Amino acid sequence: MTAAPASSVQWPELLGNSLIALEPLEGTSGRLRFRAADAERVFRAVHDAGFHHLTLVGGIDWVDHREVIYTLWSDERKSYLFLSTDLPADHPSIATATKVWPSANWHEREAWEMVDIHFDGHPDLRHLLMPDGYEFHPLLRSFKLHEPEDLEVKVRHV
Amino acid sequence: MAGDAAVPFVEIEALRSREFIPAAKEALSSMIAEQGQSKLIRPVFNWAGRNSLFPLHWGLACCAIEFAAAFGARWDAERFGVVPRSSPRQCDLMIVNGTVTWKVAHKLITLYEQMPEPKWVIAMGNCATGGGPFRTAYSVVPGVDKLVPVDVYIAGCPPRPEAMLDGILRLEDLIRLRKE
Amino acid sequence: MSEMWINMGPQHPMTHGLWNLRVRIDGELILDVDPEMGYLHRGIEKISEDRHYNEVVTLMDRTCYVAGMAWEHLYILGAEKALHITPPERAEYIRTMSEEFQRIASHIMWYAAFVQDLGLMSPFLYGMRDRDLLLDLFQSYTGARMTYEYMRVGGVRNDLPHGFSDRARKVLDWLMERFKEYDQLCMGSDIFRRRCDGLGVLSAQDCIDFGVTGPMLRSAGVARDLRKDRPYSVYGRVDFDVARATTADVTGRYLVRMEEMRQSVRILRQVLDWLDRNPGPVMAENLPRWLGAPYAPIGREGYLLKREYPKGVGFAAIEEPHGEAAVYVVNEGGEHPYRVKFRSPVYVNLSAARKYLVGYHVADIPPIMGSVDVCVGESDR
Repeated sequence: MTAAPASSVQWPELLGNSLIALEPLEGTSGRLRFRAADAERVFRAVHDAGFHHLTLVGGIDWVDHREVIYTLWSDERKSYLFLSTDLPADHPSIATATKVWPSANWHEREAWEMVDIHFDGHPDLRHLLMPDGYEFHPLLRSFKLHEPEDLEVKVRHV
Repeated sequence: MAGDAAVPFVEIEALRSREFIPAAKEALSSMIAEQGQSKLIRPVFNWAGRNSLFPLHWGLACCAIEFAAAFGARWDAERFGVVPRSSPRQCDLMIVNGTVTWKVAHKLITLYEQMPEPKWVIAMGNCATGGGPFRTAYSVVPGVDKLVPVDVYIAGCPPRPEAMLDGILRLEDLIRLRKE
Repeated sequence: MSEMWINMGPQHPMTHGLWNLRVRIDGELILDVDPEMGYLHRGIEKISEDRHYNEVVTLMDRTCYVAGMAWEHLYILGAEKALHITPPERAEYIRTMSEEFQRIASHIMWYAAFVQDLGLMSPFLYGMRDRDLLLDLFQSYTGARMTYEYMRVGGVRNDLPHGFSDRARKVLDWLMERFKEYDQLCMGSDIFRRRCDGLGVLSAQDCIDFGVTGPMLRSAGVARDLRKDRPYSVYGRVDFDVARATTADVTGRYLVRMEEMRQSVRILRQVLDWLDRNPGPVMAENLPRWLGAPYAPIGREGYLLKREYPKGVGFAAIEEPHGEAAVYVVNEGGEHPYRVKFRSPVYVNLSAARKYLVGYHVADIPPIMGSVDVCVGESDR
């Protein structure tokens, strides 16, 4: 792939119907909003366009829906690209990115654990940061921080 | 007579090792007939124990870096007889140097139970004392004294190495006064 | 036949922190590994949602306790983008200087802990001695040795004290001499070379697939350094080279870190020269009261003032001593960030542990994991 500015990638041609919008984001190549149903196709197309390095996968709880953010880096373009998709608040699930970027493994485990987003086809979706059997998802907005004296509640949580 | 006999041992506890042995020898020979065995051995144990505290070598969080710095060239904690050991079986002091989470809580208790008696615990830093800046977090134990008995608390986030050494010296004072 | 799982951690001299490496072994041979994280998960992302923008800086120092300045810098860059604030130039230079000092301090800490694991005790004593000089410099302008709380949205808390750059240059001269000594102690030691050469090899392709960054990636021959590729703060205006090695093993990572320290000294000399010539303000003007107070924390009444900044998303990525760190700050107009998401380099480097440990022997684990430079506070957050 020759070195080219990211704007020269014709995302609408490359992604077709899967692409909802391309939003500018300061200091980066922008943010692609895509349809969650076409996730695997989008991941493959973006990877083949030169974005080989996955920086992070993060989930955001917007109360009425959830958002998943993928941040990618391209060595050829020296630039970051964001992928973003919206999921429904009840039973949010999306295809795993581990087949395209193996480094997504722990990021997706953490997003499942913290924001309760299920990644279909993930090889190893179990608790990473919290103990096994922890039944809460702490980074949801509905999860409130405890009063420190409320020790009994915390013991019950673990 | 019995009341006066305990006095030399209090003085002996303040002696350095070179002076200790002749003084202890003299006191022992003069009193061994009249005193009970445990009463004689206790000060010797206390003297030995407080001058060779072996803390458990493990780093929990930020304070572990200052804990390590205290063993560096500038502070040299080993001059107080403090030598970190990696196995809890060889330790008599647990320095909890960082945030304790609920996930590590039962492992901390296991380590504490593996240490032979007599044993002491120092809560180093605000996190071990009361949760520190993470006090409200869902995964943090608000103070290690909820899990194991703590003898000395050291304030600071993290405490400077001097503060850690001061905490160890306070603990030595506690051991000196120990009766049982 | 004699296969078994053993736990190395959470209390083990190899771990340098609080994590557990589960290893499946057959005799001495490693068949599989499974790092178990979360023993130091302190919910920093959750607490950040409940904190004022400047108060999150307090948590950043504790996120990575060996590279507090780098993480402060990362978060502040992200928060400033989300809040649409530009700091003055001098503040940018001071931040760059702080990050480079921190890089040297972090690498020296790594050197002290890593070489001690190999059985050489004197590097620990030498390393801690030299690191204390850097911590003294930090203390002279932030007041703290490790947890600085120095950077603010819109600048830095206070300017450098009088005579700082002279003291700093003396320390740099001293360090350049000591780096030669470090190299003699390690590269000249037969024990060191025999325990490190050819261990923990992770090829460039595997590094990219598994997201491994920092000295581990550069030791595989890839010259990716965000300071060069995507210059932030004033890295575009200083002259330095990206350290690289080609062996992709433990020795390669050692050499990369040693060269990075020398390059940091080179950057620092240029930055200190600029700081001497260009006095000026270190905080942006016209900030709202709750952001503009140079000495935060601010009184509770400051929180009541409504923000007049538009909503926004801030993203920043820096080359932290351990690798590529990134932050994603969502600003929804409240006094607190709506969501802060961090990318920790150590977290990702550890997730590839299976790739660089399987096939070696149990006795190789301390040098290999030492060369990864694990900081659990940052990886578990």
